Amino acid sequence: MVEADGGEEDLEFKWGIKKGVGGKKKDFQFYQSFTYDGVEYELYDCVYLWVDGEPEPHIGKLVKIMETPDKKKRVKVLWFFRPCEVLKYPGVVVDTAEDELFLASGEGAGLANMNPLEAIAGKCKVVCTSKDSRNPQPSYEELQKADFIFYRAFDVKDLKVLDTIEEKVAGIEVKCLFNRPGLQKPGIVLNLDSDKKGVGGNAVASNETEVPSKRNPSKEHTTLLTNGISVDTVRKEHADSNASLVKQRASLRENPASSVGVEIGELPLSNDEMENIFTDQTKSRSKVTKNTGSKAFLDKQKSSLREHPASRIVVESESSKTNNRQDPSDNTASRSADDSVKREGKVGNIPVRRGTIGKVVLEEKVKSAKDCVDLEDRPAKKAKFDSSIKASDEKNEKNALKLSVGLDGKDPKALATLTTSEDEPRLKLTEDSQGAGKSPFKVPDEKTKHSNGKLFKASPRQFPDVDKKMVYQIMEVTRRPDADRSKWFRGLPWEERMKTANEQGTLVLLQNLDPVYTSAEVEDIVWHGFKESCTAKMIQRTSISSPHYGQAFVIFKTREAAETVVRRLDEGCLLLSNGRPLVGSIGTPCFPEKKPTFFGHYVIDKVRHQMARGMREAVSTSHCSQSNTIEYEMAMEWCLLQERSELSWKKLYKRQGEELKKLNCSFKSKWR
Amino acid sequence: MGSSAAQAEYAAFEEKVKRTVYLDNLSPKVTETVLKMALNQFGTVKSVQFIPNYMEPRNIPQCALVEMENSRQAEAVVSEISQFPFMMSGMPRPVRARPAQVEMFDGHPTKPGRRIQCRWLEPSDPDFKIATEIKRLTWKHAAEVAFLLKQQLQEEEKLASQQQDKLKGNYKKYEMIDSIMTDGTARRLARRYNLHIRDD
Repeated sequence: MVEADGGEEDLEFKWGIKKGVGGKKKDFQFYQSFTYDGVEYELYDCVYLWVDGEPEPHIGKLVKIMETPDKKKRVKVLWFFRPCEVLKYPGVVVDTAEDELFLASGEGAGLANMNPLEAIAGKCKVVCTSKDSRNPQPSYEELQKADFIFYRAFDVKDLKVLDTIEEKVAGIEVKCLFNRPGLQKPGIVLNLDSDKKGVGGNAVASNETEVPSKRNPSKEHTTLLTNGISVDTVRKEHADSNASLVKQRASLRENPASSVGVEIGELPLSNDEMENIFTDQTKSRSKVTKNTGSKAFLDKQKSSLREHPASRIVVESESSKTNNRQDPSDNTASRSADDSVKREGKVGNIPVRRGTIGKVVLEEKVKSAKDCVDLEDRPAKKAKFDSSIKASDEKNEKNALKLSVGLDGKDPKALATLTTSEDEPRLKLTEDSQGAGKSPFKVPDEKTKHSNGKLFKASPRQFPDVDKKMVYQIMEVTRRPDADRSKWFRGLPWEERMKTANEQGTLVLLQNLDPVYTSAEVEDIVWHGFKESCTAKMIQRTSISSPHYGQAFVIFKTREAAETVVRRLDEGCLLLSNGRPLVGSIGTPCFPEKKPTFFGHYVIDKVRHQMARGMREAVSTSHCSQSNTIEYEMAMEWCLLQERSELSWKKLYKRQGEELKKLNCSFKSKWR
Repeated sequence: MGSSAAQAEYAAFEEKVKRTVYLDNLSPKVTETVLKMALNQFGTVKSVQFIPNYMEPRNIPQCALVEMENSRQAEAVVSEISQFPFMMSGMPRPVRARPAQVEMFDGHPTKPGRRIQCRWLEPSDPDFKIATEIKRLTWKHAAEVAFLLKQQLQEEEKLASQQQDKLKGNYKKYEMIDSIMTDGTARRLARRYNLHIRDD
């Protein structure tokens, strides 16, 4: 942990890419990115922000980065709400996962505001798990690494939870709020390429290529392009990926439900492969390729690890779509087509005319709650890609939004093209996939939503499961993945946080730690032992603390987490190095009283008045006593008492140490 | 952070520990300024950090870490204060000084190269029972510590009240002497016993 005194001003800071100017007088300079304290932040990154006196950092998304005319650095932050913040409103009753966040939405206080850039405490990995078709689905690893997920929004005006994210929040296109495809590895992507079609299926489309196909699964991961790299990744599909796909498919088929867990390991791999290929191809981006992407997201991890192994396979398919714009008329056309798609729940192939820019990835996922799978593929047309991607971005976003939200078309310009095709191969994966293949949208909306919800709820739970797997093995405690969080501690009023945590029941007292551990190490231990993040603080040793036991207060994010940890520590044994089983209990710190009593300093009532004056006049109130005074005599009595208690502590600790040692020696397996 | 940087950081920290003094038995009235003033007699105080007490429900005296300019000064403070009773913000309970220890510092750096392992024990593991036993022992020891602390505080309170009484008695004595001096009783008695006293 870094010491606080440096102050944030001293931290390294550098502006990144400039974006333009704004403000009434054009005197605000906007930026696309900046580097602060060694961390590079970009627009639409999620960050932690400390607010004084709050136990937990706030989480928000950077939606504007600017320098004011007087050289102050400001960021506009669109907030996320934690479940506890949302649930406190009357009438808000939702099931929330512990690592779920709600995107602020609507209008009013609490949506977004300006903050000094220095308030940023670190990056936060927030993954959008919205099944919205425009949201690139996170991979399994991403989900695991994520600090938080979100897929719902909270309307700050109406104070209610919205199941969908509006198309524009605080003036920000929804596209920017979703995951960033360019930066993410796709989760489990099955590229279903045609066995039938062969590699050729990967149409590199020149301008008007139509991709007729049904199974032309290539995946496009386009980007929301925020990083000034304007690289839109056009992903073409590759023989390799196909191959891997096939492999996956095959294996999936073999082990229909039960072993999907295994597969998951493999999938990301192949995925990576694809990724590489894709990047290689970025160069070819002037040509847009087709994008029918289908992504199958096996939600197996979750379900199979959970109590009902294998009972549920959720396959989501996600397809990407190219959004073409430029041609208003075309747009409209395609849009309406789109609408109809929505309405009828049927998808046909919607040929897309050419637009100019293709760039939005939409994923449509259909999940089936039980074992049905839906797939859709949408071959899209390609368009020529021009360099104006950036500019068009915004529009695309809008369009994209419309599509998936199914909102009324306010934006006639928007166009999106969707072609859907079915994905037969995918269907095979599921046991009862019959029929599903043909009508991808068959699953009624509600159901979809439903399963959606489940999915999300489930995902956090996946951690404990993973955890269970690791149980009983020796874990090397290393820095947890998001260790840079320790930076947040800077300047925190820990006492305040602890008070709040105590009230909320999220405070745990850990005992029997090695006294030499640091707070950061305790956090790491908790992370490894429970897969929970927390903030910890070792209790500082004093002259009367036991040399055998280190103690730490740990603040968890939720009461449930705290209780689970305590329960697990109580029932099981988490053995640390040197054979120390960790002991935990709900912490009850005590806070100094306003007027603490202290024995041993006296004033004689009658002289108090004179004394007080005398004290004030004294330069220093400290001195060594002279040996011929009553003060000295009394001081000696105190010294005697101090020595005596010192001795008792020593004896006590010595005995305790022996007791401990005796038990420690009886361990069968040896610990360093 | 490279390991060499970590080592350098840790070495710097160890230096800091060496030039720091741990003080306890401090009255709650003692503030940073008071501490600085008091210890500037022995050298230059660089920083003062109070150690918060969140664990003990009772009022235990404050303790603080005082960083001096160098380790020599720190040693001087410790030896001086242990040789003579040193009063700070009140009398007669003296403060106590010790060399500081690494674990007393808040947020001290991790010692480079330390490896920690952890694992969950299977309930069937023979060690499970031992671990459970140790956990129990942890609680027991914590209770013992709490008890001893309580005991110690009681003793302090007892001593304090004794001394308070003694002081009062003493004061009363002086007051009486004063009064017999002023109201002439002393002089009368002196005459009577043929003693010579001079009032000056």
